[in-house]
Amino acid sequence: MSPSSTSGPSLSRRSLLASSAAGLALLAAGCTSSSGGRRDAVVTGRQADALAGQVTVQEALVSAYAAAGAASPALGTEITGLASQAQQQLDRLKGAAPGAPSSRSSAAPVVATGPDPRAWLRAQVAAAADSHAAACLEQSGARAALLGSIAAGLRGQDGELS
Amino acid sequence: MADDSAGATSGQAGLAAENAALQQVLAAEHVAVWGYGVVGAALSAAGDRAAVAAEAAHRDLRDRLAELLDSRTLDPVPAKAGYALPFPVLSARDAAALAVRLEDGVAEAWVRLLDQAAGKTTRTLAVGALGAGESRAVAWRAAAGQTPVTSAFPGLPKA
Repeated sequence: MSPSSTSGPSLSRRSLLASSAAGLALLAAGCTSSSGGRRDAVVTGRQADALAGQVTVQEALVSAYAAAGAASPALGTEITGLASQAQQQLDRLKGAAPGAPSSRSSAAPVVATGPDPRAWLRAQVAAAADSHAAACLEQSGARAALLGSIAAGLRGQDGELS
Repeated sequence: MADDSAGATSGQAGLAAENAALQQVLAAEHVAVWGYGVVGAALSAAGDRAAVAAEAAHRDLRDRLAELLDSRTLDPVPAKAGYALPFPVLSARDAAALAVRLEDGVAEAWVRLLDQAAGKTTRTLAVGALGAGESRAVAWRAAAGQTPVTSAFPGLPKA
């Protein structure tokens, strides 16, 4: 099946979802008042608290990456990119929940990773993904999109660590 | 379906936006089902098994979306007769790259649906599909030789 034998719309991302880029552009930039503020302007206190809670979850995951790397230098080298992505996710979450308190201190926490740091880290990643996915269901608009995307990203990380 | 449990916009406007996003996801799933046929044809037996499994997953999602829209007395957007490939698929590596493109395309649609969803049930469907798709995409990116193989924000527009 050659490209010239087909007709119809292109398979490009642009043609698939031209409108979504516009709708979520503000979210990508770290702003959560997307879609003309039609929905995200109405954020309940419960939703705001829940999003702040997910910042805490992601902070714990970033710390887990550091702890796993400290427990196994070889693993630490391998997971540098994944840890960086976890930090990016945390930064984006904080941007979406600017009032969220930070539980991180300047000193790295001492965390017992057990005899198998990789398995332990996988469990932390999976738990964080589950938490973000569950929180996504209670949010709306750009916040739901962000949490769902991060949860999916962590599913991918879980698979990569396997 | 539009249970609006998260306090999102209620009523017809919210449901109409959700329905439009559902149609977009369905259109993307049509593309994925079609595209995985191309992917599988270019792969060895082992790779083809992964393509067949992925195609089955997208068929299932396509059917669920169509049923959902039908239950709302809406006409599900039909599949096109054919789609233009974004690049020639001449090798297993090309096929894996096409699979990545397919998964990334549907991921954008699912994230868009999360943004537009009026109900928790719809968000449940979307977040599950998004996670499963990214898991597949990680394997395809590795097969395509792409780095990094993981994505921090599947489906979200680049900042």
